[in-house]
Amino acid sequence: MPMYKSPNVHGHGMNCGEHALQNGEVDPSLKALEERQDEVLRRLYELKATVDGFAKTVTTPDADLDASTPSPGPAESVFKGTADLDSLLGKDLGALRDIVINANPARPPLSLLVLHALLCQRYQVLSSVHVHSSVSAVPPPLLSCLGPRHIDSYARQRFQLGFTLIWKDVSELQMKFSTQSMCPIEGEANVARFLFRLLGAEPQDPAAATQMDCWIDKAVFQLSEGGSKDRAAVLRSLNAALGRSPWLLGQEFSLADIVCACFVLRAGQTTSAPVNVQRWLKSCQNLGHFDCVYPFLQ
Amino acid sequence: VCFDFAKDRYGICPMVQSQQKLDRALVRVQDLTPEKAEQQIWVRARIHTSRAKGKQCFLVLRHQQFTVQALLAVGERASKQMVKFAANLTKESIIDVEAVVKKVEQKIESCSQQDVELHVERIFVISQSEARLPLQLEDAVRPEGEGDEEGRATVNQDTRLDNRVIDLRTTTSQAIFRLQSGVCQLFRDTLINKGFVEIQTPKIISAASEGGANVFTVSYFKTSAYLAQSPQLYKQMCICADFDKVFCVGPVFRAEDSNTHRHLTEFVGLDIEMAFNYHYHEVIDSITDTMVQIFKGLRDRFQTEIQTVNKQYPSEPFKFLEPTLRLEYKEAVAMLKAAGVEMGDEEDLSTPNEKLLGRLVKEKYDTDFYVLDKYPLAVRPFYTMPDPNNPKYSNSYDMFMRGEEILSGAQRIHDAQLLTERAMHHSIDLEKIKAYIDSFRYGAPPHAGGGIGLERVTMLYLGLHNVRQTSMFPRDPKRLTP
Repeated sequence: MPMYKSPNVHGHGMNCGEHALQNGEVDPSLKALEERQDEVLRRLYELKATVDGFAKTVTTPDADLDASTPSPGPAESVFKGTADLDSLLGKDLGALRDIVINANPARPPLSLLVLHALLCQRYQVLSSVHVHSSVSAVPPPLLSCLGPRHIDSYARQRFQLGFTLIWKDVSELQMKFSTQSMCPIEGEANVARFLFRLLGAEPQDPAAATQMDCWIDKAVFQLSEGGSKDRAAVLRSLNAALGRSPWLLGQEFSLADIVCACFVLRAGQTTSAPVNVQRWLKSCQNLGHFDCVYPFLQ
Repeated sequence: VCFDFAKDRYGICPMVQSQQKLDRALVRVQDLTPEKAEQQIWVRARIHTSRAKGKQCFLVLRHQQFTVQALLAVGERASKQMVKFAANLTKESIIDVEAVVKKVEQKIESCSQQDVELHVERIFVISQSEARLPLQLEDAVRPEGEGDEEGRATVNQDTRLDNRVIDLRTTTSQAIFRLQSGVCQLFRDTLINKGFVEIQTPKIISAASEGGANVFTVSYFKTSAYLAQSPQLYKQMCICADFDKVFCVGPVFRAEDSNTHRHLTEFVGLDIEMAFNYHYHEVIDSITDTMVQIFKGLRDRFQTEIQTVNKQYPSEPFKFLEPTLRLEYKEAVAMLKAAGVEMGDEEDLSTPNEKLLGRLVKEKYDTDFYVLDKYPLAVRPFYTMPDPNNPKYSNSYDMFMRGEEILSGAQRIHDAQLLTERAMHHSIDLEKIKAYIDSFRYGAPPHAGGGIGLERVTMLYLGLHNVRQTSMFPRDPKRLTP
């Protein structure tokens, strides 16, 4: 039995004011000051949220747009940020800055097709598709997956960027850019991250960027390479996240949506996917950038 | 002397003078497979090697790219004298052998037919070879490295070429020239399917077509004539004569005193010329597609030959893209500069730079074949059409295999006036090319083309290093025979 009662400084859920009152030691005016301070802070947060909301409607027009119903006409690019190609890819020295992607025709990289479509809206891109001699034949849809050949394709230097897709017998998808100064990048997700950077739309907030990476890793390791239990778990996570916001990172469409949607579509059986996932897939489709992907789904 | 109970089963045949028509099927060595096990068959082949071991004689019989082991043992069917006869036969002799095909337990690694051997019943010589051979075929197929290491000989190129008939018998040579025949056939078939017409052009001509001093002169009755450096002028005249799309296969003569790994004074040119509608890229596309069809045909139908050649001359398989990769000259210069080369924007590519460029392209695109478009005008022949937007460049292109040039082509000037100007600019005697310029005076379609050398393309496809290996009877500044 304690000799005397001492104030409980570790009390949970009890504010200092109550203790002070119990102990009869606190000035009521201090309490009032604190309450006013809390009120001001609360109103500041509300104001900030409202301003943030307005800001988004200016920078990403479709953020609060309900994309669950089809929009009329072709979609504009969702990404309006700017990227400095010279610093990302090296100065233009007269050679076409040609990004070469070697992919296995048995596993077409759907997310890269979506990113290609987005890049074409932003830049003058010279797109070409080749079949490597290590592959004997490739179904026609894979030859036209980057769209019709650009009329000006014989004048290579008029383009800001080259996108050369080579169907090849490779075990892992591979991207080559500047063989003198860059190692090849391997894996669809990593190449997707590289291409996304060219759109200037990487989330600046480290928390959001990390979350984006988490979703991408989930898609690669669990949806694509995992078993049916893993896939079911990912679909549940997606469903939960998409119950809270239209896109995976919240109000903004991002690479996480592109990669996860492509991997979900490729895994198939989308009609039995959870309801939020289905709504989200429809929204992706309505944006228009996923049109290139549908010919490759069974 | 023992009675030879087998004396009717061996011997030297009298010279085949078509004395009789024997109804006998001869099986090719190539077709000796386990399916024929226990069958008694006749084979005609050369003696590749023959070795006696006690009461047995081991022979390796060879026909073209294929070899098979044969065994003759003293027993019920073969006498000691017969085995001795077989062991003493000279290498390269052509023999007819009747034998039973037997499956073997362990693969015979040293032969092409690894799963069977022949048990000889009868053996007759059709054509005997002299004992001393100017070169040993075993040595001639030995890979370079092996010879130095284990003290065994290889055969140097001059010896091979001096005794070409024997050198051509090697499995490697047989494979090379079969593949070369394939190149020619694929070239023809692809172009015929594209609607091209094959033409023949004269080789004795009155004026040097390309200009320069690299022509052979022949005496022509009371005057002189030249051997054609290329079918260029005649291809173009055919286009002006409305043949639209033509190709020709024939000898090309270049009196270049170059003793390099890739130059011959006479080689086989495969040339193409085509009228186009609006842009010379229509022609580039046609040429590159033809090349791709050739590569595919070789890849799909000549793997046996490719593997045979690789045994002696290992190399990376030939890789290509479809459609063919096309880069622009400016890009090539930028790529070379980025790799540390110092060169002017309108400078021609030196051979080392071409090789380096080939390596850079290979690293990035993993292709051994590509096109370089829009060369500087200054480094191209006078009949090259200048670029419409930039007078310093031209509508001309080169194609490369494994970093070496195989084709030089361009849109040709089809306007007599411009052609005359360009010829004068190059200080060419207009009198000498009057007939050529005249062809364009009566309406000429826009056209372009190019030509490849059969020997060089074969050499580069197989990854070989000297064009003499792919020329049956090569001609160079130092060699006029065989």
